[in-house]
Amino acid sequence: MISGVLTLFNWTLKMDSKSIYPHVIRAVFAFLMMFSIGAAFVNAFGNNSIGLRLFETICLFNVILITVSGISYFVTAVTEEKDAGTYALLRLAGMNSLSITLGKSTSRLVSSLMLLVIQLPFTFLSITLGGILWQQIVASYIALAAWMALVANLALFCSVRCATSGRAAGLAGTILGIFFFSPVIITNGLAALPAGLLSKSVTSFLESIPPALSSVSVMARLSELLGTSSFNGIPFSGGASGGNLPLGASGRELAFFGGQFWLSLIIAFVLFVFSTLTLDLWSAPAEVSGFSSNQKLRRWSVSRCWRLAIAWKEFLYFTGGRSFLITKMVCGGVLVAGFIFFQQLEGRFSGLTLQGENGWGLLLTLTGWLTIESLLYSSGCLFYEIRQSTQSTLATVPMSSTRVLAEKLAGCAMGLVPVLFWMLVAVLIGYASISDHCSATMVISYLIILSFSVHISVLLSLYTRWAALPLTILVSFPAFFCLAAPIYALAVTTEQIARSQHFRMSVLISALVNMFWTWLFILLPLQIWIRDRWNHVSEH
Amino acid sequence: MAEITRNTVPAISVTNLSHAFKGHQALSQVTFCVMPQTLHGFVGPNGAGKTTTLKAICTLLKPSWGEVQVFGSSVRADPIAVRRRIGFMPDHFSMYRQMTVFEYLDFFAAAYGLPLKQRDSVIHDVLTLTDMDGRRNDLISGLSRGMQQRVSLARVLVHDPDLLLLDEPASGLDPRARIELMEILRELRRMGKTVFISSHILSELAELCDSVTIIDRGQIKFSGPMDVLLENPDEQPLYNLRLAAVSETAMQQIKVLPGVESVSEPEFTTGRDFNILLSPNISANDFLRELLNLNLPITAFSQQRRHLNQAFMDLTTRGVRT
Repeated sequence: MISGVLTLFNWTLKMDSKSIYPHVIRAVFAFLMMFSIGAAFVNAFGNNSIGLRLFETICLFNVILITVSGISYFVTAVTEEKDAGTYALLRLAGMNSLSITLGKSTSRLVSSLMLLVIQLPFTFLSITLGGILWQQIVASYIALAAWMALVANLALFCSVRCATSGRAAGLAGTILGIFFFSPVIITNGLAALPAGLLSKSVTSFLESIPPALSSVSVMARLSELLGTSSFNGIPFSGGASGGNLPLGASGRELAFFGGQFWLSLIIAFVLFVFSTLTLDLWSAPAEVSGFSSNQKLRRWSVSRCWRLAIAWKEFLYFTGGRSFLITKMVCGGVLVAGFIFFQQLEGRFSGLTLQGENGWGLLLTLTGWLTIESLLYSSGCLFYEIRQSTQSTLATVPMSSTRVLAEKLAGCAMGLVPVLFWMLVAVLIGYASISDHCSATMVISYLIILSFSVHISVLLSLYTRWAALPLTILVSFPAFFCLAAPIYALAVTTEQIARSQHFRMSVLISALVNMFWTWLFILLPLQIWIRDRWNHVSEH
Repeated sequence: MAEITRNTVPAISVTNLSHAFKGHQALSQVTFCVMPQTLHGFVGPNGAGKTTTLKAICTLLKPSWGEVQVFGSSVRADPIAVRRRIGFMPDHFSMYRQMTVFEYLDFFAAAYGLPLKQRDSVIHDVLTLTDMDGRRNDLISGLSRGMQQRVSLARVLVHDPDLLLLDEPASGLDPRARIELMEILRELRRMGKTVFISSHILSELAELCDSVTIIDRGQIKFSGPMDVLLENPDEQPLYNLRLAAVSETAMQQIKVLPGVESVSEPEFTTGRDFNILLSPNISANDFLRELLNLNLPITAFSQQRRHLNQAFMDLTTRGVRT
């Protein structure tokens, strides 16, 4: 068994060192470090503790990167073998479950821990800059390493449980999403509900969830260790205030291994053992899910192919088709009704119009839905062809590649109709609330950033196997800072010039000018790149 | 076929086609042509450049050098027109497995611009031809490999192309499915289609194809009618003779006939078969006349042709291309 584990471990590390993408990730990471230093220096004007600020930024990037790795890098440990159809060969080679889980996941954990190691020079810089002690840095890295172990093993579990990498990434993303956002939802939900609506036992159970999750949260631990308010606004910040761990900066004794460390390792170990034990149970090859073969159900859900055949295919088989469209429409309706219901419970307002924070809250929720759905479609619609090896067949259809891509876009856009419809409803019923918080410039900036992110995720899906979505988040995050300032400045300037020239539609002109320049200089080159890459991929 | 050769534009015309991948010369000055309404075999060892050539013909690959024309249209200048006239079946399964057979064909029929009214009859026809009409509502994921291959062939036919480009269509099929596939290809030729088939199964190609192109290490080794390839003008003609009954004196009688250089019995026979090597200065006609005069119970007399396997081995190089 040992030789099998070592072989697999060795092979995975070699593959990792030969592949360009892990090195690109490391380079991006180094760039983010440089970005952190720049941000810390900008923050430093008029502030103390520059080193602490720098280290906080580094920690925040680490948490994001580790979490994103969970739904991209770690999650393919076993599913990449299932996808490639080589899982059975590993078993034929005499590898047992433990060899496979150890060999496939531990190597990834080791190579990811190296990412933490390369940060050491930057962290020494933060000690030099002041405001932080070396003990705090060591304790923070221990917390981050424990978080990485937890995420890696959670991803391993998803990888074992699911038949394909896509499903595993979806499951890991859902679990991590619940982990991060359920405390906020539970806390706010309980606060919004009138007293007595839920029984005491249910309320106390729900109230116990946020502290329980907080005890494993790396954010809470970092907030506790660094003793700053930088993690405010992030779920769990200050959630572990009941802990008795000392803060280095305040001169109290510092514990390197907190409860978060031990709990994370215990959960990681349990997940690892569970994954190993259930590996055989879930090792069946990927099956095609989706539509029923029942003819009545199929006739209802699958109509005859439209003239825009590729748009039909995308809408039906990629976005879920008519049945999923209706489901989303109903879910959107429930969401809007929920906001109206909560507003009624507050008792401050009546009627169907959303007022106060409610209209803005609903629009933000729907915007989040739109963003996630758009990014899921964009990162998957071309990759879906590559995964089924159908790109060359599609390329022999008498259409230009531009038209193929445009039809795919049209099919995915139809899947977005429910969320767009409910956004329109939200604007209509919560106009007063929304106009208090939102400006035209904000809308323009959001649309441009969303368009950019969508293009980037389409492009990345043509290069990477499963990491398109997390890499998009990584790229879009710094790109937002690069794009936001010029976009905002251009929007304001255009609007002011239009107003000074007494154009009534100044906001509209500002929007159009911004959209045009962004398309010409940012999106058009990306579109050409996507088309060329698609043509290249279709050759294989 | 001779008439077609004289009067029509070639279905495929490849001239000086060269292509390199990252410094590796995949194709070098490849030139051949395929006449309409013929079944043309395309053979070569692994890595010889068959799939690259096929991809260049079906517009998937822009070659570095050279010209490829399909029914007179350049694949580089007018790829859309070329795609309307071809049906390409790749060597790997590339199907939307979550669709039913009917939905899959309906999708491609619509993608090729067939109106809704016409699609039903076309799909019915291609499913009947490929003997898949009974499985039209089955999910593709539930079909066997042979059936998926038939659906793939039906997809290629759905827009009624003039030229079919089939890359290893018989790979992975069981003998029955393979024989049935060959029958379908014969039927397609009878329907007036041009079939360009890349395959490793030489025995079947020899029976099936009118013409053949052999490619090795990116270069064309032979391109022309199958008969020409199987005849070897450099060798002395060898004939097979079969008698209805065993005759102990037959060999002695044949040996003394004019023009006979040697007579031998093939291995593992019952004494009724003979291999006869004739000298180049006697025709088969004259020899047969002499043979009939011996009053032997002859049931078969034929020229032994070189097998495609032998021709393939003679023309291609041993080992894997590096």
